[in-house]
Amino acid sequence: MRESTSALRIAGLSKTYDDGTVGLDGLDLEVPAGEFFGLLGPNGAGKTTLINSVCNLIRTSGGRIEVFGFGHETMEARRLVGVAEQDPNLDRFLTVRESLVYHGGYFGMSNDDADRRADEMIDVFDLRAKADVRTSKLSGGMKRRLLLARALLHEPLLVILDEPTAGVDIELRHDLWNYIRLLHEQGTTILLTTHYLEEAESLCEDIALISAGRIIARDTPAELKRRYDATTLEEVYLQTVSTSLPAVMAAEEERS
Amino acid sequence: MSAADRTASTPAAAAARRYPGPDPARSMRALVLRECRRVTRLWTQTILAPVVSSALFILVFGLSLGSRIKEINGFDYDVFIVPGLIAMAMAQAAFSNNSSSLLQARNDRYINDVLASPMQPWRMNLGYMLGGVFRSLTIGVSLGVIALPLTGVPIEQPVHLIVATLLLVVLFSALGVVVGIYAQSFDHHSFINNILILPLTFLGGVFYSIEILPSPWQELSHANPIFYMVDAIRYGFLGASDVNVGLAFGFTGLVAIAMVAWAQWLFQTGRKLKP
Repeated sequence: MRESTSALRIAGLSKTYDDGTVGLDGLDLEVPAGEFFGLLGPNGAGKTTLINSVCNLIRTSGGRIEVFGFGHETMEARRLVGVAEQDPNLDRFLTVRESLVYHGGYFGMSNDDADRRADEMIDVFDLRAKADVRTSKLSGGMKRRLLLARALLHEPLLVILDEPTAGVDIELRHDLWNYIRLLHEQGTTILLTTHYLEEAESLCEDIALISAGRIIARDTPAELKRRYDATTLEEVYLQTVSTSLPAVMAAEEERS
Repeated sequence: MSAADRTASTPAAAAARRYPGPDPARSMRALVLRECRRVTRLWTQTILAPVVSSALFILVFGLSLGSRIKEINGFDYDVFIVPGLIAMAMAQAAFSNNSSSLLQARNDRYINDVLASPMQPWRMNLGYMLGGVFRSLTIGVSLGVIALPLTGVPIEQPVHLIVATLLLVVLFSALGVVVGIYAQSFDHHSFINNILILPLTFLGGVFYSIEILPSPWQELSHANPIFYMVDAIRYGFLGASDVNVGLAFGFTGLVAIAMVAWAQWLFQTGRKLKP
């Protein structure tokens, strides 16, 4: 691995979709290695576009992304990133175990390593009873567990979680965060997007607020609250997003 | 301890050292195995159904009606049609497999697991193609095992047969990949199969020699690309061909290269695969 203290370094990232929608507008962002980083913003602000850009799931229009010093499109960078997408995107033809083992294979793991890690993840996420069940037969909560297990299977150094607890019951959410906290303590960099602001406040060391494809504020939760004279992160969120929303709407109107 | 220090000396960093770099060969092997797993998991649909329907063609058209039809190019009718029927079944299987597999992967977005992985675009392309090749060859061999003892079809040119078969399945596998990437729904996939491939195959000399066609149908048949592919396969089995063998192989090879290149361009650029 190259000498880099940044897990993620993004410069001037832009993405304009084919229909003219601007997803990202010259976004700059740096996430230090080992940090628990939160990315907050309203729907359509560019969170998922940013994540998909890092994970090579969209064609960016401009800018540069580095993962631990590697260009994001390189094989080295891809190996270091694990992503749990917002909506369950599981292979319906495979069982839980097969989903994990094939994922390990895609990420270059040997059969033995993939089998061993699949077993570990099945235990960690309490999927043992469903290990040989096709993914299409799983409940929503089980699918969410499997998504996280799959994202973590190849032991990535940068884990990206796009609203991982959306629609998840409190008990599972509690279990998931305990495990993610443990991973973070072990040095894994976590990039989290969530609409649960209290969750972000308690978990994240650093938070960026994104709106209209740009970072509009970024700091520790305490510093953000101090800067915006707020008692909660929700107040900060509402202040920053509400001030940026008119600009977003004006841009949308101009475009249409 | 700073965040950077934690990263440098932790189990996560140790994991990165344990798997020092992605192994692209393993990545592609996993994709090929996944595609083959899909075929075997759905074997009644992917293998059994096409084998049974093609075997029925051989039984009905070859063994039942064949005795009422005089020889074609010096071969009994049941012998004449077997190569074309096997070619038709393999071509359709290769196309359908890859087209539907990619369409499903795109619709459900589990293709993202592959697109985000450390796998070069050419390995993704080859990985998906080999799924279709596996299904197609399984059907071809199964039909051969059934039809050859029943009809006594010879294999006069085994090397030519292997080359022609590989060109055919690669061509239609690549076409399946291309359509699977462009298709927005199963209607598009079915349209190509039912309106393009199936009619051209029937008109490509599977059931007859184009030499018996009147003008201008005989000349028009030379504009049908599938005619050359069927002819190349038939040459492998029977050692006889309607057109120059070099032309049949050359044309099939060129179309196969063009299809593979098109599929590769799609994976390389991400067009239609990534917004």
